[in-house]
Amino acid sequence: MIRKLFPVIPLTLALTATSTALSADDPSEVLRELIDKTSAPYLMQSEQNIMMMEDSPALWTIEEGEALYRFPRGNNLVSLETCDFGKGPGVLEGAYVELPRYFEDTGKVMDLETRLVHCMKTLQGFTDKDKEIKKRHGSKSDHMKLQTYIASKSNGMPWNPPLDHPLEKAMRDAGEVMFYRRAGSHDFNCATCHGENSKRIRASVLPDIHTPEEWTKAISWPAFRVGHDNVRSSQHRARGCYWQMRQAGLVAGSDASIAILSFWTDAARGQPAIIPDMKR
Amino acid sequence: MKNLLNPMASAALAALLLMVGPLHADNTGQLDYTQMTPEALAEYLIFEAKGFKLDMDVQEGGKAKQRMVQDELQKVCTQTHNKPSPEQAGKILAEARASIKYPEGGIKLGDWRKGRELAWSGYGFRIGHKIDDHSKREPGGNCYNCHQLATDRVGGTLAPSLTNYGKTRGNSEQTLRFVYDMIYNPHAYFPCTRMPRMGAKGLLSNEQISHLMAYLLDPESPVNH
Repeated sequence: MIRKLFPVIPLTLALTATSTALSADDPSEVLRELIDKTSAPYLMQSEQNIMMMEDSPALWTIEEGEALYRFPRGNNLVSLETCDFGKGPGVLEGAYVELPRYFEDTGKVMDLETRLVHCMKTLQGFTDKDKEIKKRHGSKSDHMKLQTYIASKSNGMPWNPPLDHPLEKAMRDAGEVMFYRRAGSHDFNCATCHGENSKRIRASVLPDIHTPEEWTKAISWPAFRVGHDNVRSSQHRARGCYWQMRQAGLVAGSDASIAILSFWTDAARGQPAIIPDMKR
Repeated sequence: MKNLLNPMASAALAALLLMVGPLHADNTGQLDYTQMTPEALAEYLIFEAKGFKLDMDVQEGGKAKQRMVQDELQKVCTQTHNKPSPEQAGKILAEARASIKYPEGGIKLGDWRKGRELAWSGYGFRIGHKIDDHSKREPGGNCYNCHQLATDRVGGTLAPSLTNYGKTRGNSEQTLRFVYDMIYNPHAYFPCTRMPRMGAKGLLSNEQISHLMAYLLDPESPVNH
């Protein structure tokens, strides 16, 4: 009897901890509210995924990310708790929905991943050679854990990337040009798939950039991708799209990648972030 | 440190700043993105600012950079968001028509069974973090991505359904020619269509096109019953 009960205890403890890790509503609640409002086909395409969101493996990734965020690490043995993600050192609430943004200290527009790298290097003393910096993908990577934790602190909040600085505007506008730029062996651009409502590639319903209520789900990363069995990032999604478009490989953290993210985040302005989301 | 202060180095630095100057350099010698048009900045980010892995080999030969350089058609369709002016459309139609090469001995239907697999396959020509190896697997037609064909498999809806295509169109000389043209270079009929130029860009061989045509038009093909 005791043997049978034993594994249940740590699980219950962990689940309790998970529920407190989310800053706003449950992401599945955020999604359900959007569905109630719009019934956009992209939002509703998988009833199964919506049901599974409450038990998303990404919730564990958040937990692991919080531990990493607070733990003193790197050559300098400091935590990330003084990293400034745009709203001041250590302020995570609502920071992600205001990225990419211009940072005075680097003179650049940065997305979450790039800013995280910046802090890991300047605060913690990691270098480009360290796996903590190099490994960007997979639920087991430090990057995905940290990104998922930090982003989860913006769940339910409206996307609001700043465009006050001229560089933020320049990057967003260049991103728009890139979104519509047809190139490659197959003449594709991002709009080939994401320019119309209720269209499908094979069985997958595609999100439309002109419908902000569904576009917010499209850009809500990190998300657990069921087909990949991993939590994935915005940079991973952008890379995958360029791969499918048969264009050259997008370099994570490049200004080109941040321009694309600036444009796609602006297109979801005002709609609530669903983080962590669950996708096919 | 001393080296940085010597007059020669300072002169060289000043010369460098002067050279970059006309391209809107700020005082750090970096380009000022805010002084560029969005189009110019996008080109700069793609080709000059290490935004893409341009040095990779590509399946058709050459480097990935070629994939990113726009040809005239891609430029016009980008600038007009796929709505070319009548003059632009006329030019695109004429050039697309001129690009079409017909097989010796005329257009013939191949094997619909092979066409069926080609229509389903989305393999080929992908580069970046994972490269499609054409020596291991032949590139497909990607047809089901956007079109519904035989209904035992789920096709996309970005493009018109082609279910029963042969049944409703028959396979006259004119139909054969139209279908061949559409696969080879669809801009000959629909300027700035989203459909790839499978023949004109060398993405499918004439033999592969004949199999795909059989899948669409052969009365035995599951597309037609």
